[in-house]
Amino acid sequence: MSARTVAREFFGHMETGAVDKIISMTAPGAVVYLVPLDVRGPMAAEGARYLRELASAFPDLLIRVRRLFVTTDNTAVAEITIDGTQAADFLEVDNQEKHFDLDQAWLLEVAPDDRISAVTAYWDQNQLYRRLGVKRLDNITITAR
Amino acid sequence: MSTDALAASTGTTSREATARAVVTAFFDAYRAQDVERMVDLCAGNANFRYVPFEVWAHQRVLHGDGKVRTVGKPIWTALIDAFPDLSNTVRRVRADHDGNVAVEVDIGGTQAKDFGVIGCNGGRYDLAHLFLFHVAADGLIDDIVAYWDNVDWKKQLGWLEVD
Repeated sequence: MSARTVAREFFGHMETGAVDKIISMTAPGAVVYLVPLDVRGPMAAEGARYLRELASAFPDLLIRVRRLFVTTDNTAVAEITIDGTQAADFLEVDNQEKHFDLDQAWLLEVAPDDRISAVTAYWDQNQLYRRLGVKRLDNITITAR
Repeated sequence: MSTDALAASTGTTSREATARAVVTAFFDAYRAQDVERMVDLCAGNANFRYVPFEVWAHQRVLHGDGKVRTVGKPIWTALIDAFPDLSNTVRRVRADHDGNVAVEVDIGGTQAKDFGVIGCNGGRYDLAHLFLFHVAADGLIDDIVAYWDNVDWKKQLGWLEVD
């Protein structure tokens, strides 16, 4: 399996909320860094927690892979768009059933045995807040209806 | 230095080495605040997209999306004007054999003027960015995309409004 295939499988599982399958794709000790959330730690703990919250808050989640390439160190670099309708509180943002779409970039470091050893994700949390109706960064539960 | 010379200075002229050298030169020029040099490293019709760059004006949203020469250059110039000590530290460069390059880089500076909605409080920021480039076979950058988190940026500069 190539890193490209691993990445497509990863995002396919993210779309369906199959977090256990994602974790089964990772190496023991795999780490995650979600840059805008300043979340770092084990993929099996911090990564799984974020992915489960995403899946439960956006049960109709769609993920479109817009660009994907694999660098010579076997890192899959993906630009994706995530798209869904909020159905539960997410990252402390009250649920207003708003639809959102958000462009993100993910780096998946893939080991020779095709297991993911590190995940890094970039996006703009301000865009997420804007689409979900948040008005102030010091009190993100204050939202516009 | 030409892009071929940049690649040659690395001891190899592979597509990957050329792309790495060109992108490294781009951030060297950015660190030197040499916007003309940054633009010169790009093809004439190079595409530009700063994904988080959204300015919400009355009745419309302005996106940081277009060409390097017409959208990128004015943004870089305005950033350097607002943050006169703007600099960068490249943390990691990854490239493939087809001209694609991913760069994790920290960019930061001290605010001296208002920038967009962010009023000037004299604050300083240091912010993780991901840049994705494509370097064409002729050694010129023909596509730039960048990601960062505006919440972190605004908070560091003391601005707490989403818009």
